[in-house]
Amino acid sequence: MKGDTTPPTSGGRETRPPAVSFEDIEKGFFGVPVLKRVRFSAQAGRITGLVGENGAGKSTLMNLLGGNLQPDSGQLRVNGSPYAPRGSGDARAAGIAFVHQELNLFPNLSIAENLFLTEFPRAAGGLPWIDRRKLRDRARHLLDQVDLAHDPDTPVERLPPGERQLLEIARALGAQAHLLLLDEPTTSLSVRECARLFDLMHRLRTRGIAMVYISHALGDVLNHCDDLVILRDGEVVGRGPAAEFTQERLVSLMVGRELNQLYPVRTPPPVPADSRPREPLLDVRGITQPGRVRDISFRLAPGEILGVAGLMGAGRSELARILFGLDPHASGEIRVEGRPLEGGPRRRIREGLAFLTEDRRHEGLCLEASVADNLALVTLGQHARTPVRWLDLPGIGTAVARIRDALQVSTRVTDAQPVRTLSGGNQQKVVLGKWLLSEPRILILDEPTRGIDVGARFEIYQWIHRLADRGSGILVISSEIEELIGLCDRILVMRQGELSGEFPRGEFNREQILAAALHTSTS
Amino acid sequence: MTRPLPSRWIRRALDQAPVLLVVLVLAGFGRMSDRFLTPDNLTQILLQAAAPVIVATGMTFVLLTAGVDLSVGAVMFVGAAIAGKMALAGYAPTLCLAAMLAVGLAGGGINALLVTRLRLAAFIATLAMLFIGRGLGRWITQTRAMNLPDTFLHWGSANVLGIPGPLWVAGAVVLIAQLILSRTPFGRQVLAFGNHPEAARRAGVRTRPLQAAVYILCGLCAALGGGVALTQLGSVSPRFGEQYEFDAITAAVLGGTSLFGGRGRVFPGTVLGAILLKAIFSGLVILQADPYLYPLITAVIIFVAVLLDSLRTHLLPA
Amino acid sequence: MNPAVPVPLRRLSADARAAILLPLVLFLLLAAFTPGFATAGNLGNLVVAGLPLLVLATGQTVVLITGGIDLSVTAVIGLTSVLGALVMSGDAGWLRGSPAATPVALAVMLGTGATVGLLNGSCIAWLRMPAFMVTLTTTLFMGGLAVWLAQRQVHAESIYNLPAAFLLLGNRPGLAAGVAIAAAAATHLLLTRTLLGRWFQAVGYNPRTALISGVPVGGTVVTAYVLSGMMASLTSILITARLETGSPSHGRTLLLDVIGAAVIGGTSLFGGKGTVPGTAAGVLFLALLSNGLNQLNLSDFFITMVKGAVILMAALLDVRRNRWARES
Repeated sequence: MKGDTTPPTSGGRETRPPAVSFEDIEKGFFGVPVLKRVRFSAQAGRITGLVGENGAGKSTLMNLLGGNLQPDSGQLRVNGSPYAPRGSGDARAAGIAFVHQELNLFPNLSIAENLFLTEFPRAAGGLPWIDRRKLRDRARHLLDQVDLAHDPDTPVERLPPGERQLLEIARALGAQAHLLLLDEPTTSLSVRECARLFDLMHRLRTRGIAMVYISHALGDVLNHCDDLVILRDGEVVGRGPAAEFTQERLVSLMVGRELNQLYPVRTPPPVPADSRPREPLLDVRGITQPGRVRDISFRLAPGEILGVAGLMGAGRSELARILFGLDPHASGEIRVEGRPLEGGPRRRIREGLAFLTEDRRHEGLCLEASVADNLALVTLGQHARTPVRWLDLPGIGTAVARIRDALQVSTRVTDAQPVRTLSGGNQQKVVLGKWLLSEPRILILDEPTRGIDVGARFEIYQWIHRLADRGSGILVISSEIEELIGLCDRILVMRQGELSGEFPRGEFNREQILAAALHTSTS
Repeated sequence: MTRPLPSRWIRRALDQAPVLLVVLVLAGFGRMSDRFLTPDNLTQILLQAAAPVIVATGMTFVLLTAGVDLSVGAVMFVGAAIAGKMALAGYAPTLCLAAMLAVGLAGGGINALLVTRLRLAAFIATLAMLFIGRGLGRWITQTRAMNLPDTFLHWGSANVLGIPGPLWVAGAVVLIAQLILSRTPFGRQVLAFGNHPEAARRAGVRTRPLQAAVYILCGLCAALGGGVALTQLGSVSPRFGEQYEFDAITAAVLGGTSLFGGRGRVFPGTVLGAILLKAIFSGLVILQADPYLYPLITAVIIFVAVLLDSLRTHLLPA
Repeated sequence: MNPAVPVPLRRLSADARAAILLPLVLFLLLAAFTPGFATAGNLGNLVVAGLPLLVLATGQTVVLITGGIDLSVTAVIGLTSVLGALVMSGDAGWLRGSPAATPVALAVMLGTGATVGLLNGSCIAWLRMPAFMVTLTTTLFMGGLAVWLAQRQVHAESIYNLPAAFLLLGNRPGLAAGVAIAAAAATHLLLTRTLLGRWFQAVGYNPRTALISGVPVGGTVVTAYVLSGMMASLTSILITARLETGSPSHGRTLLLDVIGAAVIGGTSLFGGKGTVPGTAAGVLFLALLSNGLNQLNLSDFFITMVKGAVILMAALLDVRRNRWARES
């Protein structure tokens, strides 16, 4: 049912159904709508740019096309026929191919083998041998189309990232894809590699292949796309030929929403950071780790909420991991109240640091363990008495109950329940709770409200304020500029591993922050 | 990483490790005794390596998928026990060996079922199969050694074109395995699966049949290796096939196959690994080392092989 | 995803406390169908025979909780037995006749297990080698070392003439039972009431979360293997005293029982979950099973097969249990 698409009628584009169309697609997670009546289409032989802030719903759209998710309502069509994929096999059969940031290549196999892993040409005679010559010829044919001059027998591990990206496209072409979805393909590419990629996209366009290009590099989007679709908060807020847009208009459409979430008011109102007389709580000087971050310096004052804006892959989480002692850094220095910070997470927790990671499920929680055990994990040592570090179980129980009540974790949840069974909001409260119990002086929050409903968000913001009011310094990493503006005293912006901007509270400006975070145009 | 050069050299050295080690061991023992590097002794080493090479070839397939099969020795034993019983009951040797292969097929099939259908961890499932198999084998033989008709020994010592029969069989198995691994879609998909199972599934590889196939292949190889050992020994003792799982894993890992999947080859890797093991023990015999030290030496060799594999996988950047 | 199993049964099997039902049911079955089973003498034998396994499986439970596995325990038993006997034996012992022989031997024996555990744990935690492969390799090495030592020192498998003070542990079942139960109880308290116990769990549930939450993951893993090694040594002390000989072949048949007992008792091969009382129930189940099989006059190889099958069933139950718990 999914494979049979009506053959495109010859002639003009007008008579031909779009390569893919989204018709009033809706999708929500745990009652939080992620896509709201999304309606747009991409035409064969055109490049459709899809832009929006992180969390606007782009990746959910891709997951719907790939069959990893199913829409709650609405209809997907491919070449005019209804399309309801249940997995990656269906997407392949419908001629849809994905080129992701993280590649799906096998570095231990050759280029040719990666291209034809499931479609090896067989030798004549009924034996299962691969026809090496045919394989090489076909691979070379595909490589020619993407302008890669390598021998097809080269192992993929020898290719630089940019060429691997081209190889992914070649693989899509080999699978006879007529719709190509490129999700941030340029993030790890050099300028020259990007130029090659765009060249290739233009050539594919003339062959009638439809492409959906997702990127934060607005200059590239405007230069290379034919049509644009702008998403904000799961809604299409603008679409049309690329010629009708400018970079400024795109940015204002992307961030254009009003403050639709309430941010708690801070009392007492924060003092501008630079006028604080006290010595900094956290002093970061010239932190550099090749390939991750370069020459990062900033200070965090007691009671300050400092935001870090930037795109995915800008080095924000990498910086946080270095600060918490999870990853090494080649040079630079971190000081807490003048004392150098060393050692792993254990030592740093003792110095008053806390780190809420972006990956709640894999780094924040023990999913199969109970709510109480998760809450108590960080501060267990405080309840342990020597010589055998005997635990004061009633004491732990009291502390857990106190923080649980304070955080208002849903009353339907029992302490013995595995954390896995909780909603995202309650799970995040548990992670926050375990750190609150340690009364941190420096709290690093990496995407603290991702995938969390509005109510729980508000409560998390309130806790951040409360901690700051008590004199803790807080570093908030978020991809939602909105959130940082509502929450922070000062915002740092990172781009490609470096600091690219700093905004004190009085000068918060969404467009400027976004501009500082976006790639400069590569062509 | 900041220091690409040393790690590249280390990696290259590790890639060539099997060849280097074989040369070192041969040269070392050659210096210590002039009876080591004789044509007779070298042939003897190859003959002793024939059965382990065959078993280790099957093991290589399983290891390439990041699995493991601890039951190969037990499968050999059950197969040999049944073949031995049949031979003593007067069945033709060919029929006995065919029965042995059937046992391998069945053992591999059960392992495949446990790992792919019932989702048990490979090491625990095959460990249980090791015990079940050894119990079954001892039950069949009633814990008594069986001396087989002379036909078996004749086969084991037969020469074809001047080359002993066991070497022909081992050579054929290695050749076929090498062809499967390098020349068939299945072989290449095994490597892809071992490198990144989820990406292989997304790319459209049918991963369950693939995983099942490697365990069945491994069972078959174990039985075939057992058959070769049977024709060389001419008897089935209650300890037949014992510790072959170690020999097979060590040979493969020494030859550069990773326990973490996705990397390794049958030729020359696993073959050299098996020859290396046998060369070491041949050297120890010639030097009249204390036989009670052999297990210790085996353990140290395995340990070093696994350690190198672990370092290569975790501590060197890709 | 298995509609054939009714929901109440799934719930029951997902609850680790239900582990105690298994030995109970088996006990009733055996009592009903096997004459001579429910006699005081037989039941006494059964308990005494189960004591070493209880100690061993308790240590294994700790390692399984951290998400690892220790296959080297049987070899540790043999090596410990030989080393202890080489210290204290009246025939060939290093301290033969000395009053210090027994205490020194006990210290050497416990130290042996701790050392092997340290080696295992370091390879697994710091060198990141796979646990099953490391411990299989140490099995081979330590087992071989035990045989070699015995051969070198006394030119035989077994070492006799152990001092009377040491044999007290074997002569008085009450004393042995006291030691075994104390070890199990101490481990139970360690797991449930101390910081280290919680760290074991956290590392088994999720090592990354544990690391970020300030748990010294490497040290915790190493400690688990050291503990398992020492429990294996204690097991060896009990067995050596009861059999009145030091021998490398002691404990050789226990490997499947030890993992089987833990997993039947609700300890997960995936880490995080496990209790000492559950494991004790598993030990009781296996002790009943082998006692029953003995009563039926089944041969030793048949018993090996049954144990292999029990492991498979236990591992299967573990996989199912985890899946059912997730679906509920």
